[in-house]
Amino acid sequence: MKKKNNITDDLIKSFLEREKELKCLYQIEEILKKSNSDQDQIYSRILEAIPLGFQYPEVCSVRITIGTEIIEPKGLTETRWVLKTDIPVQEKKAGEISVYYSKEMPREDEGPFLKHEKRLLEAIADRLGSSILHKRLRDAEAVELGQEPEEESHEWQVVLNLLRHTDKNLFISLSERMLNHLSWTGISEIENIELDFSKVQLDADEGLNRESNRPDKRRKVELSETVCEQIFKVAAKHYTDQTILDYLQRWIADDKLKFLAHISNRNFNLSEIIDAIRRYRDIAREGIELSPVAREGVLVSLIRRFFSSQLNYIRLAKNYVRNNDFFDVVDRIIFTKDSHGRLGGKSAGLFLAEAIIKKSEDSSDLLRSVKFPRSWHITSDVILGFLKYNNMDEVVEQKYKEINQIRQEYPYVIQTFKNGHFPPEVVQGLSMVLDEFDERPLIVRSSSLLEDSLGAAFSGKYKSLFLANQGSKQHRLEALIDAIAEVYSSIFGPDPIEYRAERNLLDFAEEMGIIIQEVVGKKIGDYFLPAFAGVAFSRNDFRWSPRIKREDGLMRLVPGLGTRAVDRISEDYPVLIAPGQPGLRVNVTAEEIVYYSPKKIDVINLKTNSFETIDIKDLLKKHGPELPLVNKIISKFEDDHLKKPLAMSVDFEKDDLAVTFDGIINDSDLIKQVNGLLKLLENKLESSVDIEFAHDGEDFYLLQCRPQSFNEDSAPAAIPKNIPDEKVVFSAHKYISNGRVPDLTHIVYVDPQKYSELGSKEDLIAVGKAVGELNKLLPKRQFILMGPGRWGSRGDIKLGVSVSYSDINNTAVLVEIAKKKGNYMPDLSFGTHFFQDLVEGQIRYLPLYPDNVKNTFNERFLLGSKSILADILPKYSSLSDVIRLIDVPKVTGGLVFRVLMNADLGEALGILDEAGKETDVDDVEIVDIEIPSKKYWLWRLRMAEQIASELDPDRFGVAGFYVFGSTKNATAGLKSDIDIMLHFQGTKQQRKDLMTWLEGWSLCLDEINYLRTGYRIGGLLDVHIITDDDIRDRTSYAVKIGAVTDAAREIPMKGKERA
Amino acid sequence: MTDKSFNPFEMAQTQFDSIADKLDLDEGTRELLRYNQREYHVSIPVRMDDGTVKVFRGFRVQHNDSRGPAKGGIRFHPMETINTVRALAMWMTWKCAVVDIPLGGAKGGVICDPHNLSAREQEGICRGWIRQLSRDLGPLNDVPAPDVMTTPQHMLWMLDEFETIRGSKLPGFITGKPVGMGGSMGRTEATGYGVIFNVREALKELKIPPADTTASIQGFGNVAQYAIELYNQIWGKVVCVSCWDQKDQISYSFKKLDGIDLVELKGITDRFGGIDKKKAEKSGYEILPGDAWIEQEVDILIPAALENQITGENVGRISDKVKIIAEGANGPTTPDADKEISSRKIFMIPDLLANAGGVTCSYFEQVQCNMNYFWEKDEVLGKLDTKITNAFNAVNGLAKSKKLYMRDAAYVIAVGRVVEACRERGWV
Repeated sequence: MKKKNNITDDLIKSFLEREKELKCLYQIEEILKKSNSDQDQIYSRILEAIPLGFQYPEVCSVRITIGTEIIEPKGLTETRWVLKTDIPVQEKKAGEISVYYSKEMPREDEGPFLKHEKRLLEAIADRLGSSILHKRLRDAEAVELGQEPEEESHEWQVVLNLLRHTDKNLFISLSERMLNHLSWTGISEIENIELDFSKVQLDADEGLNRESNRPDKRRKVELSETVCEQIFKVAAKHYTDQTILDYLQRWIADDKLKFLAHISNRNFNLSEIIDAIRRYRDIAREGIELSPVAREGVLVSLIRRFFSSQLNYIRLAKNYVRNNDFFDVVDRIIFTKDSHGRLGGKSAGLFLAEAIIKKSEDSSDLLRSVKFPRSWHITSDVILGFLKYNNMDEVVEQKYKEINQIRQEYPYVIQTFKNGHFPPEVVQGLSMVLDEFDERPLIVRSSSLLEDSLGAAFSGKYKSLFLANQGSKQHRLEALIDAIAEVYSSIFGPDPIEYRAERNLLDFAEEMGIIIQEVVGKKIGDYFLPAFAGVAFSRNDFRWSPRIKREDGLMRLVPGLGTRAVDRISEDYPVLIAPGQPGLRVNVTAEEIVYYSPKKIDVINLKTNSFETIDIKDLLKKHGPELPLVNKIISKFEDDHLKKPLAMSVDFEKDDLAVTFDGIINDSDLIKQVNGLLKLLENKLESSVDIEFAHDGEDFYLLQCRPQSFNEDSAPAAIPKNIPDEKVVFSAHKYISNGRVPDLTHIVYVDPQKYSELGSKEDLIAVGKAVGELNKLLPKRQFILMGPGRWGSRGDIKLGVSVSYSDINNTAVLVEIAKKKGNYMPDLSFGTHFFQDLVEGQIRYLPLYPDNVKNTFNERFLLGSKSILADILPKYSSLSDVIRLIDVPKVTGGLVFRVLMNADLGEALGILDEAGKETDVDDVEIVDIEIPSKKYWLWRLRMAEQIASELDPDRFGVAGFYVFGSTKNATAGLKSDIDIMLHFQGTKQQRKDLMTWLEGWSLCLDEINYLRTGYRIGGLLDVHIITDDDIRDRTSYAVKIGAVTDAAREIPMKGKERA
Repeated sequence: MTDKSFNPFEMAQTQFDSIADKLDLDEGTRELLRYNQREYHVSIPVRMDDGTVKVFRGFRVQHNDSRGPAKGGIRFHPMETINTVRALAMWMTWKCAVVDIPLGGAKGGVICDPHNLSAREQEGICRGWIRQLSRDLGPLNDVPAPDVMTTPQHMLWMLDEFETIRGSKLPGFITGKPVGMGGSMGRTEATGYGVIFNVREALKELKIPPADTTASIQGFGNVAQYAIELYNQIWGKVVCVSCWDQKDQISYSFKKLDGIDLVELKGITDRFGGIDKKKAEKSGYEILPGDAWIEQEVDILIPAALENQITGENVGRISDKVKIIAEGANGPTTPDADKEISSRKIFMIPDLLANAGGVTCSYFEQVQCNMNYFWEKDEVLGKLDTKITNAFNAVNGLAKSKKLYMRDAAYVIAVGRVVEACRERGWV
């Protein structure tokens, strides 16, 4: 390896020398061209130019003698280290050039001088000679100009001549390229020359076999000097001097950069490639450019080596990324010595986004002002080096183990990783990272290869860790290493592995790159935080007004670190904005705005070295005036009135302040900037995008950019086309978001007609109450609420059922039906009253317009199916006409109700289908990311059967064992408990024993469930005891026996199994 | 819409009819008061942000101005109907009359959903509404105020447009303005204090020293908090309050038999009256289900949260010890529960009277604006005390003399005053 390096180094050195010579020659040519300048001045400038072509210009001086005239710089001393050559004019010596070194220099070909240097001097002397001749002739005014010098005075010819003397190979190679160039561009004259040499190369026999299937014999072409001259003569006819010179310069540069071929060669490791890039960088800084074709080749290789081999990525990236974009990146990469890794998906996304923003013509100054946080990268295969270094290779096999084993071993895996050591070159790299960032807080993000190849579908599965990065360097280094190890270990976490297993990705050789990014923000007291941060999506799937279009986008804005905008936190709310329609806000009245404003803030505590969530109220009281942009972030709440604060008018101690971002939204460029970014990136990346950003009070930073992610429940659903009419309950074509709500068992339908006919306010209120009760009784997220107008209507109750969020918070979908009333079509609310609660609770919202002919609305099913409201809520039986509760499996013979929504198609369907079955769709290709949930209930049922078969009825005095709820209904999820009901006839003691016995089972099953799913609920069994009295009176859970809906199912006990 | 459907205006008319029967009103008077005096329907063109023009429908209903300039809120509601506006305008007439302030009843609205409108577009609606109606409004004609989905900001835009059209400063044109922009001091306290002024008078009537009484309150918002403050000042002891818990999506009651400490509880309460359960438990409060406030062994119950809270179902849980119910909220008692309460001889202070502090303070705002001189808070609250006490005494006096249920007495007083004004003017 080292040897190879030396050879290339030598080569480079000689190339660099050659380049100097060329430069020197150009310069002299330029000086002489300005023939109207004063002769003395010309010579003195030549004296200065010549040393530049030599190896040691600093000790180099030149004397030119012409006839008797001597031109030399002041203080020239003659030494013995001299190179001389004659100046010929019409083949007679007219003068002499002498080059002196004032000091002894290392020995080369001719004393301290190179062979090339001698040839250079000869060429200069030639040129000087012809210039003298030219001048003489002109002085004599006897000769017509243009006869003699025409050929000589072409700049490109000088270059070519020089090369002919100094580097024959390059000379021939340039001639070849010119030949090819001429023939490709269809210049027919060149064929004559080509024919000449092909005749030489092809003997007659071969000529006859041209059409056979035999491979063409390789024809070695060696151009003679005459042929070369001919080629350039042809070129001169067709191209201007400047064009030829341009070509020559570019091709010479290409030749010099031949080593860049390393980049595309997989055999070279990263350190060799980075070396090559650095050399390229040095050369490029001197202004040498590659030809466009070579440049693109190198570019594609670089993109592929560092980021992605996906053709689509390369295709998009090469439009915006330039080779010099890599120059800075390579100085911030940490890798092991034989690394072949990449930087991973997150890095790739951000790198491309930066290139687009900075270079696209469609970008603007506002967008170009976006900054990117300083980042270091660890290549993806360092993790393999780390495993090897710590003899942990076998952990790679972890993914093939049973999920419960993985879960059990995971804490141990984390510890093993944290106790591991990194190879010294990595530690050294990390030390450099800390030197650059000093005590600036850092975030360690994963950037894995799967994130790259799957894009959004695999985002957010691995860890990102914040580091306060305070204290001694040793201490900080340890913390950084620890964090990287922990992020690494998340590859082997049970959740990502399960996720991969479900998608057949286990065999993918996952590697994880790491980005170490500075945290954007400012130090405020003991805390470090940005002014605000957030996420934004180029497509809005949670539109709260019909005026908002999907492409208006969606922004979730929070003060402080952006973690609270990324995650959905049920008790706190980010501020939502549609960047394309910033005037249309979710919340309108001051009270609403304040209610749904962020109350907490994520910060880094520099004192305790930790990531913390604190109350905004406390932060404002303590540090209000210091917070960047605080007056644009908060509003004063006074007399039911929100005011934008004047700079001096805020009393952070006493005023009632709320985070509204009013100043930011109305009086800054932020919204324009984010909207511009979303539009630009979506357009250029040819996909909807999802960005993360932060603002430190001065600058806007882009932290992440990737294709818009879809949660499991918000990916566009496939819309089947061939569903028979009777299976369709409704279809919709307006204001559709994305999502798929599978396997609903109950429909609560408030009939708009009957509701509007209700005569008393009490009845209208009772409907809301009944819905609230159903919300508590029906299985969570397994029913759909459909009703007229606006749910949660506060003012006029007959315009919509009066409910609060807590009355509907268990539904999976909320449907608002806009039925024509006379000639008046009511506006729907888009769930505005609790829109943000719906968003954070991931409850889907859908408006229906049954009167639109395009839409199906199966009133026959909704009104014709048996309603069980009266059985479930006898107290509201008088409302049976108005509220219909449909037990879908019951009335359809086991089918479930499913809602499919696809915003791209603008279509939504509510259909009846088989439980657990995937809806067949032939013509739509969609990544399925729904988790199959079948196994959860099945396992629970098996366990219930197991318990029953172990339960001794005589010992415990149990007469019957029943299972009901989600386990029986095949709807149990990860966190569901097992509802069992025991018909008990024993004594007090027996009851106590029974409960103890079941408690054991309960805890044990909980543990098993934890190992399988990662959820622990503190006991998996929910035991309900009923007595003879209960059964007789049909009280308590006894109603479940033989019930109309969700009836309990009896399971045989020990010794009572059916034969 | 079919005839069977719920019509709030018809409901208000039915209620009026029953009072009219009690007052034995002649047909002409009934005809006048069953309908509104004037009703305006206007179209408001607004240039939207996207350059198009959208026309919004607006209303103003003036039910009766025999006692003085009409007064009532403006609602922005996407499904606003004229019948709702009519019903609410009539309700305003009675409300002003029962506290004997010289104002009539009105209500207005625009069919629009502010959620679908930018701030600039809302400003357009506000100014447009004024442009259409300015000739029929004014500090001496009809005085608007905020209501459903309208805010102090909307009021300021409207005021500005009105003053521009009239060419003079007329802050008394509209109420509900922020303090410093023509708003009145004491508005936050007004409703809660009003409830207790009534309670104090009722205790006087029942000859019970306030210091010997306890109370249980539903709600811990603005009204409840100021009610507790004043009740404590007259030495009453609140032993239970209930409030909504945002996190659990359910309400809880907080009980302390030695009396809750208002300052302490406020310290652990969010802006919307939600008390921190854990902290309260630490401070020795007993946490009970949300509806436990109603079954406390107290002398006074104050429902100060939502509509329809005392119902036929839970009215039976009201302790025998309860002597007074003061309706701090609007319509907290359902008709069937109301019958039961009436038959148990519990002293009912109906919403019309109990929460009249709010409208009285709006009147004070208008008065102060008209003379462009603003009172200190004490002066506002002192005047409020006088007004409420007088109103209570009038209603109570009538209830006693005519053996009426307090709720009926309040309506009879209110309607009676309006009828009288109409007669004095020679209208009927």
